[in-house]
Amino acid sequence: MIKLAFGNFKASFRNYISLILSLAFTVLIFLNFRSVLYSDAMDTLGQMSARNIKILIQVVTIVLSCFMFFFIWYSTNVFLTQRKKEIGIYVFMGLTNQKIGCLYMIETVFIGLTALVLGIGSGLLTMQLFQMVMLSISEITVDIHARLSIWPIVTTALVYLTMYAVFVLKGYVNIVRSSVLDMVSAQRRNEAVNQKAGILIVKAVLGTAVLGSGYYFAIKEGGQEVMANALLAVVLVIAGVYLLFGGLLPLGFQTLAKNKKFLYRKERSLWVNNMIFRMKKNYRTYAIVTVLMLCAVTALATGFAMKGRYENIVHFRNEYTYQVMSNQKNLNQKLEKLIEKDNEIRYQSRTSVLMLNSSVVDSRYQDSVYCVLSWPQIKQLAGEAGLEFKLPEPGDDEIIKVSRLYLLSLITDRSGISIQIKGKEYQQIEDTSIPYLGILQEKMPFYLVNAQEYEKLKAYGQELTLYNYKIKDDRHIKASMEELDTITSETDQNYTAYIVSDPKSDDLGWVKIVYSLCVFMFMVFVLAGGSILFMRMYNDAFEEKSRYECLQKLGIERKTLRKAIASELKAAYVAPFIVMTVSSLFSVHALANMMYTSLIGVNITSILVIMAVLICCYFLSLTVYWKNTGC
Amino acid sequence: MDNKKVLEIKNLIKDYGSRGFHTRVLKGIDFTIYQNDFIAIMGPSGSGKTTLLNMLSTIDKPTQGEILLDGMDITKIKNKELSKIRRDKIGFIFQDYNLLDTMTLQDNIALPLSLNGNDSRRCMEKTDQISRMFGLSDHLNKYPYQLSGGQKQRGAVCRALITDPEIIFADEPTGALDSRSSRDLLECLKTVNDSKRATILMVTHDAFSASYAKDVYILSDGAIRCKLSKGDDRKEFYDRIIDMQASMGGDFA
Repeated sequence: MIKLAFGNFKASFRNYISLILSLAFTVLIFLNFRSVLYSDAMDTLGQMSARNIKILIQVVTIVLSCFMFFFIWYSTNVFLTQRKKEIGIYVFMGLTNQKIGCLYMIETVFIGLTALVLGIGSGLLTMQLFQMVMLSISEITVDIHARLSIWPIVTTALVYLTMYAVFVLKGYVNIVRSSVLDMVSAQRRNEAVNQKAGILIVKAVLGTAVLGSGYYFAIKEGGQEVMANALLAVVLVIAGVYLLFGGLLPLGFQTLAKNKKFLYRKERSLWVNNMIFRMKKNYRTYAIVTVLMLCAVTALATGFAMKGRYENIVHFRNEYTYQVMSNQKNLNQKLEKLIEKDNEIRYQSRTSVLMLNSSVVDSRYQDSVYCVLSWPQIKQLAGEAGLEFKLPEPGDDEIIKVSRLYLLSLITDRSGISIQIKGKEYQQIEDTSIPYLGILQEKMPFYLVNAQEYEKLKAYGQELTLYNYKIKDDRHIKASMEELDTITSETDQNYTAYIVSDPKSDDLGWVKIVYSLCVFMFMVFVLAGGSILFMRMYNDAFEEKSRYECLQKLGIERKTLRKAIASELKAAYVAPFIVMTVSSLFSVHALANMMYTSLIGVNITSILVIMAVLICCYFLSLTVYWKNTGC
Repeated sequence: MDNKKVLEIKNLIKDYGSRGFHTRVLKGIDFTIYQNDFIAIMGPSGSGKTTLLNMLSTIDKPTQGEILLDGMDITKIKNKELSKIRRDKIGFIFQDYNLLDTMTLQDNIALPLSLNGNDSRRCMEKTDQISRMFGLSDHLNKYPYQLSGGQKQRGAVCRALITDPEIIFADEPTGALDSRSSRDLLECLKTVNDSKRATILMVTHDAFSASYAKDVYILSDGAIRCKLSKGDDRKEFYDRIIDMQASMGGDFA
């Protein structure tokens, strides 16, 4: 039995090489990601960053596991249908279904193990390279040493084998349960070609509606519910894409095929009919590819947005080196002298800050302290610090929020916010994240009011003065800290405290890794999408071989056949691309809202990259298709 | 008999094998096919029927000799021109129908016309007209898997006829059919030949099929042994073919 299975495996090895390679590829990617967990790079990141990265890699692992799951599902399915045709013959040799099932299992296990060994082997070879590239994208410099840990290999093999076993068993059950007739007739192609128009219309309408509502939820602005909306949008878009490809696409092609005026022109008769014929089997592939590409674009956009935000936040935090908060109004000369003992001051600024008790303020978010700023003072401060100031002067019942930069905000609806101070309602007219008060803006909320309101509000809080200094050379930051320590005090009469922004402290360093992870996920998704389509076409070409031979016998020119094939492949590549492009506009828009940035550039770039990859895959499949069909 | 020569074969020789191991499969064949002929070529297996048909249909090239199709020597034409000739001047009918299972019968029949760049209205008109002739009008929207063997083969004949070829090559067209379907098909071919003035060259090993032709060439061991011509009665012609087969011996297959 094993001998027979092995013989089969060897004989059909060439047919399944694409399957094996793609499985090996998933193992390779999985292993590479897992091994990052055990690499030197992790040690060099701060503790906080390392923890975040670990969480992230676990998340990526889950995503990759799902991905692997689908890949194994897909390839074992292809394998099962292909084998079933051959296996049917064994029925006539008197083998029982159980025996045939066993034969199938053994063969499939051979394939699975070959892929695993290939994947882990190539994974070990590329691991180092992968980490190096990843770190260089993250702009982290670490020397990587060859360090082989057994754990990533074990987890990878375990995850892979478990999933694989599930599908092998599923195939076994499928064979045992199927009737002899099924297996024999699997050889014959007598399935209905056209799908019922009624079902297709329902699917198409449902698909469009579901996809549309997915888009709606993706870009709908809101408060806390945005997270739920985003999840809902993901589910709806995936379901919608499936329904669309299962309904609208075949419906479109079938309608076209019915219109003979359209059909009987050039090579259309050939490729449109072929598309319809293949649709039932291929629409899932198109949908998977669309979803994968969509994931790719979103991942890349996330990466770029994160990087952009990270850079902005670093910039934001380094607006000032020292910030001194005191209830004394004329410390500036003294502070200047202290700092200039060791450092040269690049610029400085000063403003008064009114700290309100939380008891007098009622707002959407409960903070312990609320600070109020005066519009003319901040205008002056902006001039001193060289910051942009375009804020309009607030009216008597208006405020402007001076807030921090968030890495990611789930709240996308920023209109109609108001706060109450001592019973008076102030409408928030704008929200700025220009670092007028530097890193302090991350610590507490600030509200800007006009000068008159500021005077009125003085009655409800304590006024402090904020002195900001930016020094020329950040490296001597420590020296002035000792001087500043001499004037801090925390008595009620004399309250003086200071805060330092050290550019070297990097509690957000993990964001850089996220960026590179996202870039890699992008590449993985794009390549996976491209290769899935390629594999599909590769398999199709085998089935088409006899059909094209027959057409050549009929005297149809090779050139014509080649054109027909090109048109068919074009349609197969373009359909997922279009749906992906439209969907990505929405998903990236939603992301841009959460990240407070414009991501149109990234969106277009990633679409172009995907287009380039797909064009390459297209030409590759075209050559292979031509070759395999003998055209 | 019309005088226009459609196909003229002169001293056709075909060798297989490499140097030193020549096998001469066709040993100098000569015959001429005129317009509106219906010719059957019979012979036992190994007699060279398929080789001959392959060369006539431009799939293979002879070692020596000339094949003149419509006045042109197709043994000396380049491949690109050849497929043009195959497309425009020759129609094919195969034993296993070779209808594409991806499309409806209508699309199958219209395929050669539409691929040749004909106007779609003309494609539809011709498909309608020709399928009516073969009693397939009700089946046009069916896929091959929904049709019987006889219907499929008649569909294939329609497809071969739709481009109005100079000549139709039929390779064992009844080989996969039961006797009733065979008879239907042969009647169709005969009607086409009688009315539409189509020229047909059929290769078969079946005496019954051959008896529908106007002339039968019997091929044996790479050469034409004899030519039988039909008189008025098909039955009588059939008996003569059977007698000839018996006298020649060898297994006809």
